[in-house]
Amino acid sequence: MDRNQITKWLKAPAKMANKYSLHAIYFCTGCGIIEVPPVITARWDAERFGIIPAATPRQANLFLITGYVSVKTLRAIIRTYEQMPEPKYTVGFGSCPINGGMYWDSYNTIKHLDKYIPIDGWIAGCMPRPEAIFIAVTHLWTLIEKDMANGYIRYKDNYESYRSNQEMALGKLEWPPLYPASDEHRGGE
Amino acid sequence: MNKPIKEKLESTFRDIQVAVPEDNRIAVTAEKPNVLAILRFLKDTGFDHLALLSAVDWIEDNCFELCFILTCYMQNDDEYLDSQRLHIILKTKIPRVKPQFVTITGIFPNAEPYEREIHELFGISFEGHPRLTPLFLEREYEIPPFRKDFDTRKYVEDIFDKIPFVMDKAK
Repeated sequence: MDRNQITKWLKAPAKMANKYSLHAIYFCTGCGIIEVPPVITARWDAERFGIIPAATPRQANLFLITGYVSVKTLRAIIRTYEQMPEPKYTVGFGSCPINGGMYWDSYNTIKHLDKYIPIDGWIAGCMPRPEAIFIAVTHLWTLIEKDMANGYIRYKDNYESYRSNQEMALGKLEWPPLYPASDEHRGGE
Repeated sequence: MNKPIKEKLESTFRDIQVAVPEDNRIAVTAEKPNVLAILRFLKDTGFDHLALLSAVDWIEDNCFELCFILTCYMQNDDEYLDSQRLHIILKTKIPRVKPQFVTITGIFPNAEPYEREIHELFGISFEGHPRLTPLFLEREYEIPPFRKDFDTRKYVEDIFDKIPFVMDKAK
């Protein structure tokens, strides 16, 4: 352990623990997932940074969205994201989740993933190198430390807008809202 | 190998054009009623693998073209014989208005997902297909999206670009 950080550990132990044990859900979206096997195995060894892949969303707190998001994948992404325990962090990887990338006029690929789920950080590039994941992770550490990686809080606060956007893209969703509307909003029902 | 198959096809079926664009390739153009018979004939001749079933939208000629690509499976264990390197492409045109064709799943069962895909993306219906349900797409489209008159840019502007960005309430 770095002795310089001992005051941080004493001040906010939970935050520091979150920061150094990111469990990445192994969700394969699009072509970017090809960069993840070298990242988590011997060549680049993400465990140096405290990242290990988690088998299921309920055991993960880092969500890497690696590549273009088709409408069908968006449904799976939302379900995965909603199952993850808090605090959870999302990183969009590659140019396609940012603004559509080369699929910006595709009939079945959504642009701007942050309209549907909150994103804490982006890695630009097509494709980004595996090193870019580590740059993003060290940047995410800074964000967590400063309480700026607050995507899951934004999701809770603006859930109605996110849910209505999701329904605009996917039609009626078959699962109940993650955060049911509070009583004063329910009104006339 | 090219020659005998070409001659056999020409002598067995009327109203077909057989071309040999290059070595190991045969392009057959046939009318719609002949197609099933030709496929069955080719399967019996040894072309027992349907490698691809695809469609082309010729919007200026007002027709769709279905392409069936047939090859052989490897017969001996180690390598292909010269006679087995042959690819046959069978093309047939169908009208663009109310496009319909007959399913070929009875001859090549692996055509099932191809036909579902074509049904979904081009709107061609296949008579006798066991289940023409959606395969890839989640949304509904007025014009099937692979047709040439489907304007993807307009569709994206109308649907995906209209979805607003989420503004953070807390700010």
